This record gives sequence, C-alpha cells and structure tokens, in this order.
Amino acid sequence: MSLIESLAAGFALVGNIEAFLMLFCGLIVGVIGGAIPGLSATMAVALALPFTFSMAPINGILLLLGVYKGGIFGGSIPAILIKTPGTPASSATILDGHPMAERGEAGRALGMALYASCTADAVSNLALILFAGWLASFAMNFGPPEFFALILFSLTIIAGVSGESLLRGALSALAGLLLATIGLDLVYGTNRFTFGNPNMMGGLNFIAVLIGLFAIPEIIAMAWNPVAHLGKTRSLGKTRCTLADYLGSIKSILRGSLIGVFLGSIPGIGAAPSAFLSYSEARRTSKNKANFGKGEIEGVAASEAGNNGVAGATLIPLLALGVPGDVITAIIIGAFMVHGLQPGPMMFILNVDIIYGLFIGLIISSVLLLIVGSVAIRGFRFVADVPKRLLMPAVLVLCIYGVFAVNNNIFDVGVMLVMGWVGYLMMRARIPAAPFLIAFILGPLLEDNFRQAMLMSGSDPVILFRGPITWFFWALTGLTVFAITRSTLRKRVPLS
Amino acid sequence: MPDSTALNLRLGIASLLASGFLFFYAIPRFVSAPSNINNIVLSPLFWPYILSVLTALVGLGLIAVSITGEPEEDGFAEPGPMLPKWGRLAALALIMAATFLLLPALGMVWTSMLAFLATAFLFRTRHPVAAVICAVLIPLVLYGFFAHVAGVAVPQGNFVRLP
Repeated sequence: MSLIESLAAGFALVGNIEAFLMLFCGLIVGVIGGAIPGLSATMAVALALPFTFSMAPINGILLLLGVYKGGIFGGSIPAILIKTPGTPASSATILDGHPMAERGEAGRALGMALYASCTADAVSNLALILFAGWLASFAMNFGPPEFFALILFSLTIIAGVSGESLLRGALSALAGLLLATIGLDLVYGTNRFTFGNPNMMGGLNFIAVLIGLFAIPEIIAMAWNPVAHLGKTRSLGKTRCTLADYLGSIKSILRGSLIGVFLGSIPGIGAAPSAFLSYSEARRTSKNKANFGKGEIEGVAASEAGNNGVAGATLIPLLALGVPGDVITAIIIGAFMVHGLQPGPMMFILNVDIIYGLFIGLIISSVLLLIVGSVAIRGFRFVADVPKRLLMPAVLVLCIYGVFAVNNNIFDVGVMLVMGWVGYLMMRARIPAAPFLIAFILGPLLEDNFRQAMLMSGSDPVILFRGPITWFFWALTGLTVFAITRSTLRKRVPLS
Repeated sequence: MPDSTALNLRLGIASLLASGFLFFYAIPRFVSAPSNINNIVLSPLFWPYILSVLTALVGLGLIAVSITGEPEEDGFAEPGPMLPKWGRLAALALIMAATFLLLPALGMVWTSMLAFLATAFLFRTRHPVAAVICAVLIPLVLYGFFAHVAGVAVPQGNFVRLP
C-alpha cells in the first residue's frame, strides 16, 4: 500500500465525528484525572480502558491516547497550584511552577505549561510518524533470537531505571515473569501453577492485574492516611503567559521536546527522568540560571516540554516492536489486545489503516489539548474540590465493574483485589510496579521467543548471539547493567 | 541497623524463601511436563526453574546490599499512632473480601453500593449525605452503561433484579 493509500485508509477510519469526540472526551478525562492528586494519568488510563471494550478499535485507542496526553498535561496543574504533582512526571514542574504561583503568577505558569506541552506533544507525534514505520520495517528482519535479546534489554532497562534500586526493580520484573507463567504451557499445553482451577488455565487476566496494581493501591493508601491529599490551592493571579514569554523559552521547549522524544523512544525510561533532564539542561544553558528554582518561567517550559515530549515517542517501540515504552503504553497495549490487534512490525502490514488513523488522530490531539487545557486551567478549582474520600470509593466501584466487564468473570475481580494488595505492599517496600507489569506482559513473548530459538538451533544457545542485531541488544543490556551498577556504587561511596 | 538496610534484608530473605519454596516445592508439584521431553531447555519446567534461581540471586544481592547498605527511610516507618492506620487497612481488607464473596449472591449493583458506603465511611468522609447519594447513583449509572450500552451480563444476584 502506498503512502497516499495508507493515509486515505487512515482518514476513512478517523474522518468521522465519533473518532474526534472520543479523542476530545479522552483529553477531558485525562486532564481531570491528571489534575486530581492521587488519581494520576496512569490510573485514569486504566480506569478508562473498560469503557473502550464496546467501541470500534480506533475510537477506543484514540480515547485512551487522549486520556494519556491529557493526563500528562493535567498533572502540571496541581503541581503549580498546590505543590502536589498530579503525575510523577510533573514533579520537575513544581520547582519553578509553585514559586511562580506563590508570587501570584499561577496563570502565567499554567499558560506556559500548556503551550510547552502542546509544542512538545506535536514534536513527539511527528517523531512517531517519521520513525515508527522505519523501525517497523527494520524489525521485519527480526527472528526469535533478536526478539529475545530486545525484550531482555527492555526488561533490564525498565528494572534498572523505574525505581531507586536495580535489585528491587529486578525483583519486581522477576515476580511479573513468574506470574506470567501461570496457565497452560505455550508449547505442550500442560498445567503451570493452575492449582486445578479452570479460571487460571488461560493465565491471569492482564487487565485485572494492571488495574489491581495501579488503581487499588491508591485506595488502600487512602485507608492508611485519609488526609494525605489535603493542600492549599493558589489562585491563578492576573498575569498571563505572553507570546514573548513563549518565544523567550522556545529553545528550552524544543530541546526538552527532543530529549523527551529520545528518552521516550527507549523502552522503560518514561516521562519523569525526561522532565528532570530537560529542566537541568535548560538551567545549565539559560542566561537566567540564577532564577531557576525561584520561579523562572523557562524552568516550567523545559520540564513540561520534557515530560510531554515522551507521549508520542513511547508509542514508537509499542507500534513498531510491540514493546511498551512505559506503564501507560503497557495499558494501551491492553486495548489493542482486547480488540484482537497485536502491536508490532506486522501491524504495519495487516492494520495499516489503524496505524495511519492513529497518526492523524495524534496530530489533531495536540490542537485539541490546547483547547481542553485552556478551559481546564480555569476550571481546576472545581476539580480540586472533588472530595477524595468519595472519589476513591467511586474508583473502587468503577474498578469492580471494569474488570468484570473484560471476561464477565467474578474471578477476575478477585485477582484485581489481590493484586491491589500486592501493589500496595510493593509501594510501601519501594519496589517499582512498572517492571512487574511490563514483565507480566512481555513474559510470554520472552519465553516463547527463547523456546523458538532453541527449537531452531537444536538447543544450541549460541543462536542467541547469532548476528549484529543480537550483539547490539546484548551490548546495550550489558551497558545498562554496568551503568546502573556504577551509578548506584557512586551514590554509596560518600556515605561509607 | 538503618531502616533501609532492614528493608533490603527483609526483601532479600523473602526472595530466598520464595525461591526455595518455588524450586523445591511449587515447581515440582504444580508444573507438569510431558515425560517424553529429552531436552530440559524445551520443557515447561525450564523457565520457572530459571526464574526461581534468578530470584534467589537477586535475594542474595539484596542481602549483600543490606550488609554494606546506606541509610534510607523505611517505607513502613511513619510518625504518628500506627494502630488506627493498621485498623483501617484491616477493615478495608475485610470490605474487599466481603465484596468479592457477596458479588454472586447480592449482585454487582447492590454489593457495589454497600462497598461504596463502607469505604466512604471508613475514610471518614465529611460528606455523609453525598456519600449515600453517590453510593446509590454510581453503581446504577455503571450498571446502565455496562449492561445496556456495552452488553455486559452484569451479575444480578438472587434477591432484587434490575431491568
């Protein structure tokens, strides 16, 4: 199919009011979800997922992408107004955003956050469109050994950078891989940890596990401390972000966008490190570096560009390789799977209309985000006033309905509740949940590719190192382990 | 001993115990493999065994880190009285267990209403009237969406059935 034909097929899918409406609704839900401290963009996407089951695939996926992009921007609103990041990615925005709010310039900071977010989002979408197809065509050369090495690299980097300790990240990933072995064996069809329960023969439901890991722990955390969310909301003030402010920060915005694209396209790194790197680069090169941390508008621009720059780029490994770039794209992969779609290089051949439909929808989402974000900034006070002690019971009820709806199975609700407690214990023990979920998704793929490689080679492990692509991924895996171990050891030296 | 090293030590010991349990008891007992497989690498047992060995190695690593560890804050250690916090956690666990057990008998709508109310009051809501209204409305709205729009067979229970 030529480019024009692919574009036409994409337009045919999204060229209707329903698709735009879903994208728009997704952005609204995302901004509200991201703006409520304790709800987060991840939880908003997880909670929106069950509502997409009855939709056309493209509409459902666009809705989730809208929630994702809206949520990442929405997180900046409470970060600036109440010094509480709505999402972890907005933590860097607090550094300069909240001091500006204290000076009565919250409206200016939020305006800059919105414009930087939309610009970075557009750059990130452009990168996705330019690179995903190229990477997918390259990945068509991959066989089982290459995919095994790629998935191993992805898991290593996710385990290494998601939390504060490589070992705790690795423990989380191993637990996810172990949980993924439950069910019938992929090759021989024999039972593995099914305990004679027919509900477990197909493995644990992915959506029950993810909602359990990312929504229920917040409810349990509220039982631990019901007043943790209370904070003082600042007013917007009278100053607004001007064109001169925007142009004055454009270098930092573009640099942050590119940092976001680069880090977002590497599986596992995510938005928060990108925001902090973008912020520190802006501070290092700015002529106003002395004002950073005291309410410098360029600092808000850089951190918001950094965290929104990853939003489109995390879809590059998802669409081109079938490897989720972060937790939110791991949830979005669920929407693909529910609709019988398998992200990866073959999707660029079998479902090219959906791929181009998504590209078109994503471009439009940057414009819609500008509209939704402008309204959300003014309406935040209403969102901030939603009583969290009523919101969390509502989330619990929503989780129960949503998880049941996947398979019409009460057993899945039980899995979700148990996983919620597992997630809460992990949270308290500072074990990151992201490696667990991503390993749970990639576990069957990792094992399947390993066994296929062994079948191809007559069980000779040398096949796992058979050519430049596998060497490349093994080298990256080794480098990742080396770099993370070295940085951990360096942190420990001054204390000993 | 600093708190973080205690946490790493606990995690390390738990990992070793989990690994031992998997290796010596759970995998031989709960993973079945056809008897005619010549090559262990292709057996359904191979992957779980590899994962249990890796879990043990990570556990040893965590113990090693805890011995040479740096001081950090323990996630479980917090200021203030702990008893009410643990009490609320236990109550929430009971609410969740009761919700799961009551779902088939009472149906999803009525169970959700009770779960909402119990959770809101456990969280000491300052809006009791709004909590009751939300407890009734939210499950009903969700029932309307999932049963009539998404076509999900929402469990109705044995007592009061909804259209």
